[in-house]
Parts: sequence; structure tokens; C-alpha cells
Amino acid sequence: MRLVASRAGRLLFVVVVVSFFTFLLLDTAPGDPAVALAGLNASDEVVAQVRADLGLDEPFLQRYLTWLGNALTGDLGDSYRTLGVSASSLIRNAIPNTLELMFLAQIMALMISVPAAVAAARRPGGLLDRMSSSIAFAFLALPTFVLGIYLSYLLAVRLGWLPTVATDLPSLTSDPLGNLEQMFLPSLTLALGLVAVYLRLLRNDLVATLQEDYVLLAQARGVPDRRILWRHALRPSSLNLLTAIGLNTGALIGGTLVIEILFAIPGMGRLMVTGVFGEDYSVVQGAALVFTVGYVVVNFVVDLAYYLLDPRIRHA
Amino acid sequence: MPEPSTKLPTGLGVIFWVSASWIVLLVLLALFADVLPIRDPEALGIITREVEPFERPGWNAWFGSDGQGKDLFANVVHGARPALVLGLTVTLLAASIGTVLGVLAGYFRGRVDTIVMAGTDVALAFPAIVLLLAVRASLGNSMWVFIFIFTVLGIAPYTRIVRGATLGLAEREFVKAARAMGASGFRIITREILPNVVLSVLSFAFIGFALVIAAEGSLAFIGLSLDRTTWGQLIDDGRPELVDHAYLTLIPASVMFITILAFNFVGDGVGGAAAIREVSTVRRHRVGPLPDAHNVSGASSGDQRLVLDVRELTTDLVTGRGVVHAVDNVSFQVRAGEALALVGESGCGKTMMIRSILGTFPVAGVDRSGRIDVDGTDMLRADDNTRLRTLGIDIGTIPQNPLTALNPVRRIDAQIMEPMTLHGGLTAAEARARALDLLEQVGIPDPTSRLRSYPHQLSGGMRQRVMIALALANNPRLVLADEPTTALDVTVQDQIMRLLTDLRAGSDMAMVLVTHDLAVVEGFTDRIAVMYAGQIVETGPTARVLADPQHQYTRALIRSIPDLRLDPHSRLATIPGAPPSLLDPPPGCRFAARCPVADSRCRSELPSVTEVGDDHSYTCWHPAETTVEVARGR
Repeated sequence: MRLVASRAGRLLFVVVVVSFFTFLLLDTAPGDPAVALAGLNASDEVVAQVRADLGLDEPFLQRYLTWLGNALTGDLGDSYRTLGVSASSLIRNAIPNTLELMFLAQIMALMISVPAAVAAARRPGGLLDRMSSSIAFAFLALPTFVLGIYLSYLLAVRLGWLPTVATDLPSLTSDPLGNLEQMFLPSLTLALGLVAVYLRLLRNDLVATLQEDYVLLAQARGVPDRRILWRHALRPSSLNLLTAIGLNTGALIGGTLVIEILFAIPGMGRLMVTGVFGEDYSVVQGAALVFTVGYVVVNFVVDLAYYLLDPRIRHA
Repeated sequence: MPEPSTKLPTGLGVIFWVSASWIVLLVLLALFADVLPIRDPEALGIITREVEPFERPGWNAWFGSDGQGKDLFANVVHGARPALVLGLTVTLLAASIGTVLGVLAGYFRGRVDTIVMAGTDVALAFPAIVLLLAVRASLGNSMWVFIFIFTVLGIAPYTRIVRGATLGLAEREFVKAARAMGASGFRIITREILPNVVLSVLSFAFIGFALVIAAEGSLAFIGLSLDRTTWGQLIDDGRPELVDHAYLTLIPASVMFITILAFNFVGDGVGGAAAIREVSTVRRHRVGPLPDAHNVSGASSGDQRLVLDVRELTTDLVTGRGVVHAVDNVSFQVRAGEALALVGESGCGKTMMIRSILGTFPVAGVDRSGRIDVDGTDMLRADDNTRLRTLGIDIGTIPQNPLTALNPVRRIDAQIMEPMTLHGGLTAAEARARALDLLEQVGIPDPTSRLRSYPHQLSGGMRQRVMIALALANNPRLVLADEPTTALDVTVQDQIMRLLTDLRAGSDMAMVLVTHDLAVVEGFTDRIAVMYAGQIVETGPTARVLADPQHQYTRALIRSIPDLRLDPHSRLATIPGAPPSLLDPPPGCRFAARCPVADSRCRSELPSVTEVGDDHSYTCWHPAETTVEVARGR
């Protein structure tokens, strides 16, 4: 329990530091939100009034603390671009799409990489192993957006199976099939990048585990290979994979951003990029906070998952 | 382009050189883009009339042209320059700064390390794209801004790599020696540590180079492009035409992909030169032909009670250093109810003998020939189902080290019940009841709660009891125990041996016991087989062999214990010298080199098997009686 508390404390520290630096960076960015909001033709008095309303005339540190305090209550301020729309509401609309994308990508990545790693580890150095290693090596070198272009050319343009870009993305609850049809290709693109990482890692750990005494003894007891791989070797081999799932969430956030642009998905990444171009920094700041918190929470959950997978840690 | 091969790059293979050539070609193109006989990348085909708008790739425009007739090939060639300049500058800067920080952190440790690593952690936790967006938005899109952003983001991995390597190196002998001789910290770092981390850094530098190119592409893709034409920008420009003129985006995308792949391959090759690569481990278990029919039927037909019948078994392990002849032409039998002791020094092939029966090897390539029958099943040639069934039902195995023998993440009940449900035909409920029963039999207190435990919650002695319960789960005909007490406390050793004897008493369960402990051999076994360098050199009833050993090796083994009665549990003390290497065993008697009475015949001619009645036989040119004579003759 104390361990949990100390982990939580460290992660909270990361959130504060990261949000501080984002705030600082965005503060030095060009463009005056007050001018933007008031309009280019607005008089100086109006601009000054807007600036005071936004609290922009206060010193930096105070503005940061005010923002942080408000953020804790869920208030991320108003959009600098669209009058009367709060950053929180924009983010609230975008989050489900990004979450769905990342969740689907992780599920797909695991559904592909775990069986592939098990098959490859069964005969290390065999044809299947060498083939999957080579493919993984190629996918590691493939930037997400290049992979996305390849896949949408192949599956959408050439084969016509799926739409190239999302149009009027229906929500998962109202039209699950229509939603999944549009989300499939983006998720797959993200997943394939992860597969390369997961496959290599799990395959190597599996090969090492298969040399363990307890695996050799299970073989000596007449347990068939397939059962040894899935029941005996997979779980003790999956601890590093779990870490990788957490660590790759950071990379996945970057990938999601690119993928949302490529497939025109109205998610957090696109919100953030349009925010940067529109100098809508309250939205950018809010989105960055959400990304950081998401990253931190996933890694926290991964730490907790160790306890479930490895009884030695659980009882320590 | 590097072709998709089915082989991983090992060392500096073809793929490495193809990749390196591609990089050299790119460098040349980037250097001489202006003087090459290619079109002006900015020239509009609709004005110059040289290129049609949307011309497909062909002889006129190799990579085709865009809507304004701009030649794509010329643009891709010119795009190589910013990619390489950016990649090279960032890599040099990030690698240098990262190396310095890493060496400082790893060498001085303490507070320096804490500060550097905290910075690295925050840098890695920070969503990179946020920094990119923010800096790019506030500082503009010149080459300098890009170099700055990517360098800041690129330092952390180098720091980590170098710090890790330095931490390891600082503990190594040559660094300690240099420090002891009074070398200054600076000198140690530059002379001893840096030369040793340079390959790891170089290897990652190529991969880092590729990451920079990919990152620039991603940024251009979201619309944050550099102030000149880059591959990323070409890809982004062509993207709206993906449906009608796919080549406009596919060609620059592929050039970028191939380049990144090439850098990765080269980095991998450089890293491979530094690190020890995983040896190819294709599992290849071969089985040789049956030994002479005459031999096999001659001996095995008579005795229905034979549980284990090993004939002319040879096991060769194919390793990186050569073929190890672990078991060499070994024959022996074990009858129902009998306990056979397999004795000999470490490395004489006892454990390999057991593994040969079970067919489980930690190495990949194994050749076995001869014959192993367990209760009538030919373990080398039976089909998988029969073999697994025999392993599961007829054989029980008790391992050397109970601490590593149980799966750490599975509960005891799951592990004990598995053989019973898998091969014994029991339902889960029946298996659980029997597991409870077995734990009680092997003397585990509170078996109900123990069943729900994980292995790490049990002591070593308890775990070995669990292993015995597991071995007995399906009432096997044969128990193979490989030094079952070596890893345990002296006080527990005796309990475990007694437990094994009690459990076998009254049943006709046979046992092969690998052991070092002559007191155990004397007290718990009926027959003995002495192994030396992969061969059985003497076998016979335990009492006879111990009282009247024939082979010089057996004699040496027994002699090496001062007095059986004074010190009943002493291990076999070492005999001067060491057993021969099984990679290339000597001709003749393998013990000759260490034997006090060996002559030239011993060194050249393998002794034949001599029977001395009562199931007692040996392979020695100078058995016990002659020793006395030779000794007298001196």
C-alpha cells in the first residue's frame, strides 16, 4: 500500500512538471489570444478588456497556479478561438474517439503479437521465427504515417474494403458497426507499429523461459508443447511485455496524433494540432494535460498489474 | 533496395552492404544534387512544357510529376539534402551531449547520476509531440529550430546507453587497475571507458539518425514542415491525390521507408559487431538407427519385469564449440522394484543420461541413437502421443534443484493436478482429492492451504516434497531422481531419502538415483552403475561393487572417501586431474590419463566388458587383482 502511495506521488510530480513546462512554452508562443478572441479589428480597449477577462495580464506563475487549481476542478478555461465554448467541452467530445483508437490498437497489437511470439518461440531460429523477426524489423522502421498511407492505399483505394478517411464518424454507442468500420484501419495502423515491439520482446522472453528448469520438467512430465507454451511459459514471460505496453503509451499518443490527422478522426490529437495552428492555447494546454495524465495513469496501472501477474511481488 | 530476406542480418552480411550502399548513394545525391543532370525541382512542367501535369512515372519523368508538372524525381533527390543535414547534425549533437552526460553519470554516480537520470526520466515522460508543437509554433520553421528541438529530444537515449555501459565498465578489472595505478578520472574516461562504449553509441546513432528522419516526416505530415522541400512535405503534398495519383505520395514514402530501414540495418550490423549475437537455436532432435536386432532381442526378451532397458545409447549434443559426446554407447537395465544408483564425478554424463531418457535438453541440437525402452515403449521412436503418455504416466522425475523446478507463477494445486487430469484421466475434483492425499503422504503439514500456495511461499525441503508428490501423481513404474538432495539442507537430505524409500517400499516402483553420496548409495540402492566420461565403466550389485570394486576409477572413487563409517555423508572427494573433454574424448580407456596403473594399451585400446558373475561387470585392462601385482612389482 505504501508502495502504491509512493508511486502515485512520483507520477503526480511528473504531471505537475510536464504541465508547467507546457504552460511556459505556450506562453512564449507567438500570437495574442486576446487579439485573436476580440478580433483583429477590435480596439485596444476591447483587447485589454478581453485580456483582463482571460486573466492574461497577471504574472506568469500566478496564472499557472490559477490554471492548475481550475484544472483540478475540471475547468480548463475557455477556448481562445470559439467564444463561449470551454476547452473542457471540446476535450470531452474528443476523448472517447482517441481512447477508442488507442484501446483498439492495443487489443489488436496483443491479438497479433502474442500468438505470433508463441509460434516463433516454439522453434527459435526456425522459418517462422526468422520470418516474423524480419517482418517485425521492417515494421519497426516504418513511420506510422507511412504505414498509414500504405495501408489506406492497399485496403481502401485498391481493394475498396474500408473508407480512406472518417466522415461523420458515428459514435460507438449509436452505430457500433459504422463506427468500427471507420475506426478499423486507423487502429490497425497503430497496432502494427506496436506489434513489432511486442513480438520481439515476448519472443525473446519466451525463448529464455523455455530454457527454465520448470519448463524442462513439465516437458518431462509429458505436457504437450502447445500447452507448455500457453499455460506454463507465457505468463512468466509476459512481465516485460507489460512494461512495454506502459512505455509505448507515450509513443502511441504521438502515433494517435498523426493517425487522427491522416484519417480525419475528431480526437484529441487533431484537437491539439488545430489548436496549435489556431493559436488556441487553452485547448492545447488542456489536451497536453490530458495526454500526460493518461500516460501517467497507464503506467500506474501497469505497475499494479505486476502484482496480479507475479505472485512473488504480490506477497513480497 | 534491401530485399525482404527471410534471414536476420547476422554480422555484416549482404543486407548490411546493400543498406550501406544506399546510404552512400543518398549522400552523393545530396552533395551533387545541383550539378546532376536532373530538372530544376521548382520548374513547373505546365510552363516549361517538358513535363505534363500528373505525368505517370516513366522515361521522361522517372517518378512522375504533380498537378503543376513538377518533376518528382528531382524533388526527391533534392529532399535528400535536408534529411541528411538534419539527421547528421542532430545525431552528432545528441550523441556527443548524451555521451558526456552518460559517462559523467555512470562514472561519478551519486548526485551527478541522480540529477542526470531525473532529467532523462522527465525528458522521456514528456509527450515529445507536445514539445515539438509548442516550440515549432513559437520559434518558427528554420533548420536551426528543427535541429534544436530534435537534439533536445534525442539526448536521453544516448545518455541511458552510455551510462549503463559505463556503470558496467567501471567495475571491470582493467578500469579498476588503471584507477589503482593512479590514473586520473579524465584519463580513465578517455582511455579506458570511451573506446569501449563507442560501438554501442555508433550503433544507436544510425537508428537515431533514422528516427530523426521519421520525426521530420511526421511533423511535415501534420503540417509543421521545414522551410524547404523535404520528403515528409512531398508525402504530405501528394496525399490528397492518393486515390487518383497514388505514386505522388507512395514514391517519396517508400524512399523514406527504405532509407530508415537502411539506417536501421547498418546500425544493427554495427551493434552486432559489438555484441554477442544469439546463436541460432533451431531445435533439431535426431534419432539414429536401431542397434543390431540380435543384441536387442537377445537381452530384453527374457525378463518381463524390465522397467527401463537402455541399449547402446549414444547422445551427442551439437553446440557452438563442436559435438559433445555426452553419453557414449551405454547399456543398462532396471527391473521393477529395483533401485539403481548412477554415480560418478560431475560432468560424467549422469544428468545427460536422465535427460536422454526424458528427451528434454537445454541445448538445441541433439543426436541420439540406440534404444531406450520404458515399460516396453521405445522412447526414441514412439509417436508423440505415446511418448507423452509414457512420460506422463510411467515416469516420475525428481529434480536436482526444487527451487527452480516449480513454475513461480502457478499455484501448487494447478501444478500437481495437471499430470492427473492431462494423462491420468482424472476429473478436476478427483485430481484435487488425490493431490491432497499425496501432499499428506509426502509429509506436508496443512495440505489444504498448501495447495493454494505459490512455490515461493514454501521452503526448499517442502518444495522437494511437492516435487516428489508431483512425480508420484500417476503411480509411475519408474522414478528418475537426479541428485534429489544436493540443493537441500543437510538435515533435510536424510528426511527426503527416507521418504522416497518409504514411498517405494512394498510397491514395485523402480528408481534410478543419480547421486554423489556413497552413504545414500549404500543404504538405499540395490545396484550401482559407475559412469565416467559418458560411459558406464562398472556395474553390479551395490554391496559387491562397494566391497570389491574392479575398475580403477571405481576404486579411486571409493578411496577418495577416508572412511565410510567415520564420515557417512561426505561427498566424493576429487581425484587428481579432471575428466577428459567430451568434445574430443581420448581413444582407449578414458580414465587412462588419471589412472595410477595405466600403460600404453590403456591409452590406445578401449577395454572390453569383463563379466565377473552375479551381474557384475567392468571395462578395465587392469582390474583390482592386477593392481596389487603391479604395485608389488615396483
